[in-house]
Amino acid sequence: MTRVVAAAVAWCSIAAAASAQTLPSEPVSFGDGRVVLGGDVAATIAPVDPGFFSYGQYDHSTMRELRIGLSAQVRATRRVSLLAEVRSENLADVTPFALYARVRPIPNRRFDIQVGRIPPTFGRFSRLAYSKQNPLIGYPLAYQYLTSLRPDALPASTDELLQMRARGWRSSFSVGEPTPAPGVPLASSLTWDTGVQVIAGVKAVTLVGSVTNGTLSNPRVGDDNGGKTVAARMVVAAAPGLEIGSSFSRGSFVSRTALNALGTLATRDFPQTAYGLDLEYSRGHWLTRLEAISSDWRVPLLSTGRVEPLRSTAISVEGRYALVPGVYTAIRAEHLGFSRVQAPGGTLPWDAPVMRVEIGAGYYIQRNLIFKGSVQLNERDGGRTTTVRLPAAQLLFWF
Amino acid sequence: MRLLAFVTATCLLVAAGRWTTAADAPAGEPQAPAGGATLRGRVDIQRVVPAPERRPGVVDLASSTMPLERGVRPAVVYLESTEVPKQSPLRSVPPEPGRARMDQRDETFVPHVLAISVGTSVAFPNSDITFHNVFSLSKTKRFDLGRYGNGKSETVLFDRPGIVRVFCDIHSHMSAFVLVFNHSYFTTTDAEGRYRIDGIPAGSYTVTAWHEGSARDTRTVTFPPGSLDLDLSVR
Repeated sequence: MTRVVAAAVAWCSIAAAASAQTLPSEPVSFGDGRVVLGGDVAATIAPVDPGFFSYGQYDHSTMRELRIGLSAQVRATRRVSLLAEVRSENLADVTPFALYARVRPIPNRRFDIQVGRIPPTFGRFSRLAYSKQNPLIGYPLAYQYLTSLRPDALPASTDELLQMRARGWRSSFSVGEPTPAPGVPLASSLTWDTGVQVIAGVKAVTLVGSVTNGTLSNPRVGDDNGGKTVAARMVVAAAPGLEIGSSFSRGSFVSRTALNALGTLATRDFPQTAYGLDLEYSRGHWLTRLEAISSDWRVPLLSTGRVEPLRSTAISVEGRYALVPGVYTAIRAEHLGFSRVQAPGGTLPWDAPVMRVEIGAGYYIQRNLIFKGSVQLNERDGGRTTTVRLPAAQLLFWF
Repeated sequence: MRLLAFVTATCLLVAAGRWTTAADAPAGEPQAPAGGATLRGRVDIQRVVPAPERRPGVVDLASSTMPLERGVRPAVVYLESTEVPKQSPLRSVPPEPGRARMDQRDETFVPHVLAISVGTSVAFPNSDITFHNVFSLSKTKRFDLGRYGNGKSETVLFDRPGIVRVFCDIHSHMSAFVLVFNHSYFTTTDAEGRYRIDGIPAGSYTVTAWHEGSARDTRTVTFPPGSLDLDLSVR
């Protein structure tokens, strides 16, 4: 409650400061541009989500939070820059979201090597989540909705897996870590992974490759299973305003905590493999995005000794249209589906399929201060609460 | 017959004169009315305006290779009558609606400051390979040209006096000013800060040097004399 009040106070403070035109409108720079600081604040309010549709990995609703971010770029030399971003959600701990070095061996060539806690290689929305480029308030299901899977706790059987359908916000299994905890989304946009990334651009084509410690659904700072994730992405600017991207990611998913509980089964690799296809087209006052992700986890079941392939597929279509200067409307429609598994009680999708439609609008109070309003309709084929309608409002400021 | 030849020649000369004037005038600059006094001098820009910077590209998969324009940002010098607006001698010669151009080049608006008369149409061509989306939320002129690519151009008619801040919705480091006047007695400073306004009718005026939205230096002057040197300073 205290945090909600604090968020509301901060929300009002931002609005008041905005009306007084006291907010910075440009990034702050020092040392002839060698050090550049930027920031963003997003205050979002919405009613309680009884179905936990909008919960993220940090144990709270992404539609009810005050998020403060501060980013910095330090140009150490002509070829080397250091980039960092720290964030705080609901005035809790400050976490280093990003911290990496960017090396450009040949100046004026689009070839970068990035080392540290780096931006996601996979997908399109993974890098848009916190920016004004998200026209709505909520995140796509693939990047936010918590499935029941956990890297540190595994179901002993398909029956146990099915018992956790629609309970990804607080999942619990008998093998590995016994404490209930949030599951993972298909691809995390709320945490970044740690490793090395290489980016090369030739004319209309951009290629990205990375090796990291975590996985697509569970990015990490340190390695927790001795396996690495390899990811690749190719983006083609096929025509003016049209970008088509494809992504791939594969890495060991199950953590050492769970592997230790598996006994002889632990000698095998249990990876998450994901493929993504995305498209963005803009022209005039229109912007449309489409993204499809298919993720496959190989999960060992202690009761049978089998490895169960668990697939999940998400598809999202988004559109934004500028109605008049400073006012736009947007819509996103999406579906998250799961492969079926055989259990004593019958054959069912291993987690409950979800549909989501979010409709909203944005109003630019000033160039870098947007008020957004939206209604998110969630429907799930399982769980205690199957339908939730969430109206939400957000004030987003950046410099 | 001689009369007809004289009239035809006169019309051709007048037409040629108008054509030359319109073509040779710098984009957006007012055409000096004939006669009147001249005000000239130099604006000393003492304030430090931070160079444009991109926001820290933490989420970007590739940093831009394009260096941003860091040239001197000019000041605008303009007159305002000390008389009530309707009786202002500055209004005795109504401004000629014209055409001007603000290019989008290397992720920069060129020029960064454009001073124009009311009724001027400004073209915003895109000379970059990437899309741009020019917009303004200013009270004087609110517009959104949408996204368009290389070689395309959109035009905005500025029909009210005031200051218009212009931005790109895609590249947040791109910004510019359009200053719209309801007379022709204004100019932008050159690279050395020099300015010159010709054809000023007799009267009492305030001279203002404007720079980057917030800095101004204002003086009161009276014409005649026929020519006045006046140095200004913004800090």
